[in-house]
Amino acid sequence: MDYFDRFAIPHPSPAIYASMVAIGLTVIAILIGLTYFKKWSYLWREWLTTVDHKRIGIMYIIAALLMLFRGGVDALMMRAQTAVPDNKLLDAQHYNEVFTTHGVVMIIFMAMPFIYALMNFVVPLQIGARDVAFPRLNALSFWLFFMGAMLFNISFVIGGSPDAGWTSYFPLAGNDFSQSVGTNYYLMSIQIAGIGTLISGINFVTTIFKMRAPGMKLMKMPMFTWTALITNAIVVFAFPVLTVTLLLGTMDRLFGTHIFSMTNGGMDMLWANLFWVWGHPEVYILILPAFGIYSEIISTFSRRNLYGYTSMVASIVIISFFSFLVWTHHFYTMGQGPLTNSIFSITTMAIAIPTGIKIFNWLLTMRKGKIEFTVPMLYSVGFIPIFTIGGVTGVMLGMASADYQYHNTMFLVAHFHYTIIPGVVFAMLAGLTYWWPKMFGFMLNERIGKWAFWFIAIGFNVTFFPMFFTGLDGQARRMYTYSEASGYGPLNMLSFVGAVGLAIGFALIVYNVYYSTRHSSRNIGSDPWDARTLEWATQTPVQSYNFARTPHVDSIEAFWDYKKKGQPLFKGSIEKIHMPNNSGVPFIMSCIFFVWGFSFIFSMWIPAIITTIAIFACMAHRSFEKDDGYYIPVEEIEATEKDSEVLADENR
Amino acid sequence: MSELFPRKQVMGFVFSLVLTAAALTVYFLDVSFAVGMTILLATAFIQAAVQLVGFMHAGESEDKVAIYANIYYGIAIALVTIFGTLLILVWDM
Amino acid sequence: MKTDNSLPLEYGTEQNKLNILGFWIFLGAEVMLFATLFATYFTLEHRTGSGPAGAEIFEITPVLIETILLLTSSFTIGLGVHAMRLGRKNAMMTFFAVTLLLGLAFLGVEIYEFTHYVHVGAGLQVSAFTGILLTTLGTHGAHVTVGLFWGLFIIMQVKKRGLTPETANKSFIFSLYWHFLDVVWIFIFSFIYLKGMM
Ligand code: HEM
Ligand SMILES: [Cu+2]
Repeated sequence: MDYFDRFAIPHPSPAIYASMVAIGLTVIAILIGLTYFKKWSYLWREWLTTVDHKRIGIMYIIAALLMLFRGGVDALMMRAQTAVPDNKLLDAQHYNEVFTTHGVVMIIFMAMPFIYALMNFVVPLQIGARDVAFPRLNALSFWLFFMGAMLFNISFVIGGSPDAGWTSYFPLAGNDFSQSVGTNYYLMSIQIAGIGTLISGINFVTTIFKMRAPGMKLMKMPMFTWTALITNAIVVFAFPVLTVTLLLGTMDRLFGTHIFSMTNGGMDMLWANLFWVWGHPEVYILILPAFGIYSEIISTFSRRNLYGYTSMVASIVIISFFSFLVWTHHFYTMGQGPLTNSIFSITTMAIAIPTGIKIFNWLLTMRKGKIEFTVPMLYSVGFIPIFTIGGVTGVMLGMASADYQYHNTMFLVAHFHYTIIPGVVFAMLAGLTYWWPKMFGFMLNERIGKWAFWFIAIGFNVTFFPMFFTGLDGQARRMYTYSEASGYGPLNMLSFVGAVGLAIGFALIVYNVYYSTRHSSRNIGSDPWDARTLEWATQTPVQSYNFARTPHVDSIEAFWDYKKKGQPLFKGSIEKIHMPNNSGVPFIMSCIFFVWGFSFIFSMWIPAIITTIAIFACMAHRSFEKDDGYYIPVEEIEATEKDSEVLADENR
Repeated sequence: MSELFPRKQVMGFVFSLVLTAAALTVYFLDVSFAVGMTILLATAFIQAAVQLVGFMHAGESEDKVAIYANIYYGIAIALVTIFGTLLILVWDM
Repeated sequence: MKTDNSLPLEYGTEQNKLNILGFWIFLGAEVMLFATLFATYFTLEHRTGSGPAGAEIFEITPVLIETILLLTSSFTIGLGVHAMRLGRKNAMMTFFAVTLLLGLAFLGVEIYEFTHYVHVGAGLQVSAFTGILLTTLGTHGAHVTVGLFWGLFIIMQVKKRGLTPETANKSFIFSLYWHFLDVVWIFIFSFIYLKGMM
């Protein structure tokens, strides 16, 4: 019986049992639903085995939204617990688990897939490509991420959630202080998802380097593609660091090494160091795609070219390199000498400069523009002041000696939410609303969207602005409660009120999806926003092959110039198109990874060995497989393209 | 016939053996730490370059620029990571 | 698939070129992977706790044998690619096979080395130093092991399907991987062993 004890949760509470039941019922409902409506083979054929970048993008969106709600529930629980002094809603242990899973879910399983969702859907279209360079690997990336996320999410009902913070510092995260399997979940599930992300990084760098439409030189790429390129370059060089860090953590916890331990020469500070060698580049991975999205949206809705394209490109290239030079600012107080802290203080402030340049570029793009305040534009305009507050407080934190005061207080929490929420959440909601018509063939309702925006923007500030003050007054982060005498009560209550406002905003977005699905017009053409880049030159819904004829590009805003100046975009006749075959291997292999991770988490060595072999067997299978793809014949393309506007108005 | 003979490979191989022998001097001779490290850094990086250019044909295709940019970028960040870590945790701790 | 005949076979199709560039970028990631291990190793090098230090356990003979084996295998796979570009399938397969045998021998010596370490009290769990030493060497060794299987599969495919753009491409990419492992070894040899014994 002892053997099974480890699968039990160490700190059960009625809420957890309720969630267990809820998860069980949902799974059963889904299974029954699929069987009843005979959707199994549809699901397998069209989604689980797909290698189409557009479908993969949509699956990323669904997963990211699910995770947004999971992380959001965690957030509400935290704000509710701290709303009043000496609250007993959650106990200390439960609170630890909640803030840990909140951080991990939001960064690794919400922000990352959301970014990859939009990159997957948009980048190949923007560069006029048929798909990414390695469609099969792209599917593998998605499924690895998905299985990693699922593995992480079962932790709270099987064996216990991680509870050492999303940074999981040793020695707290070591076996002595974190005895449940929670931290094993952290290590294995992020490892699996991280491998997927690394593969995506390689895939997109190759795609953007090699598969651009004829004439699209590097300096003619749309801004979002530029940021995607740089983001993925950072991924390629930062994620291996995470892989090794997690590996070493796993060695310590499962195989008794002493890398991060307090005895036998181990060094706990090394974890903090390695974590942030990955961690700081990671925050730029999160923000750069947002910069790209805002650039597209702001120039579309100001009806002007992006101001200072070259300086924009230069600043993201500089950021990509500098993001690897600042990591120490996360642990100024760890004990290294003033020399180190000074060096990293300077690099940290330097990186704020290219970031600032971009803000001015967007402002100057809007200047004299005919601005149209659509929902995506609202998010973009809202982003600018909010993110500036985040950046300015970042520079405050970047001053090493001042950081001794701010470090580990709510001030820091306010800082990074002021960067990440406008920088990732606003951007993703803006991007989702902007590209939604291209994905699904109808627009989201603007009125509900605007309501949601205002709830989110105001709710966000009400939630996080008070934290600057409580932080300066000394309220530490990650504390499950505080005394009445501390005086933090009223401002924390205000935060809670703001959090409820945020929740209403997200609920409105869900309602908007439902409402628009039922009521929006399906007759919107292929370019409803009157936009500027190539993805709007395809028909809606986008065909599996993206472009019937490869576009020829000779300006940054090829589609705009095609529309306004009549520069030809599609030349030549339609030829047969080569397409990759679907494959079930990425999905199956990722399922095996799931079991593999689970086996390691619970130190079950026999299944661990079997699944390791099975994973390599999948790769061997791939090596021997002959897969030449297939061709779509010309007649079929012509038939589908017949009534597409783009073809029609080329002959105008 | 001359085309058949793998000159580049043979020269690369001989060269890497020579460099290995040079590196071994730090073991067989009594050198100071500074001199020893200098020798090792030189031999290791030259050998890596020989492999990269001679054997791996890094510069032969149309993607030469991308390949070299990728390698240089990787090496630069690798060095920053290694020396930064040493600075933080060893030299300045 | 369209084939371009002005280039070596392995660059023949568009997909081939993508594969090669993609693999180079993967190698860029591998550089960071090993760099992180090295950063950790250098940090923990002298933190030996109650266990032995590097100078006490390293032996020059097996290390030298490993080095020569790997350097030679890097040479033979270079010859293999050379033969492939001349269209000599059998010579190419022979060179690839020799490479793999050398790799196998390397692995054998490395396994001997590991048992030796455990024997002299430098097992994985002894100290921070032994932990990261064996993890770093082990990561390289695991790469070689994967390479052995991968190389074998490629030889089998060349044998069965001949030298096509596809098999040539795989072989070339495998040679990149193998050379890269040699480069990593050069750094292990210089900065773990020689530096440790200096
Ligand atoms: C203007 C540029 C920025 C500067 C100068 C800056 C500076 C800093 C500093 C010094 C810290 C550490 C504070 C402490 O722990 O005491 C920090 C934490 C953090 N920053 Fe920033 N930052 C900047 C931009 C960003 C951006 C763009 C993001 C994300 C999109 C971000 C996300 C974070 C996160 C997540 C943390 C805290 C992580 C944790 O400890 O849990 N920062 N920042
Ligand atoms: Cu940072």
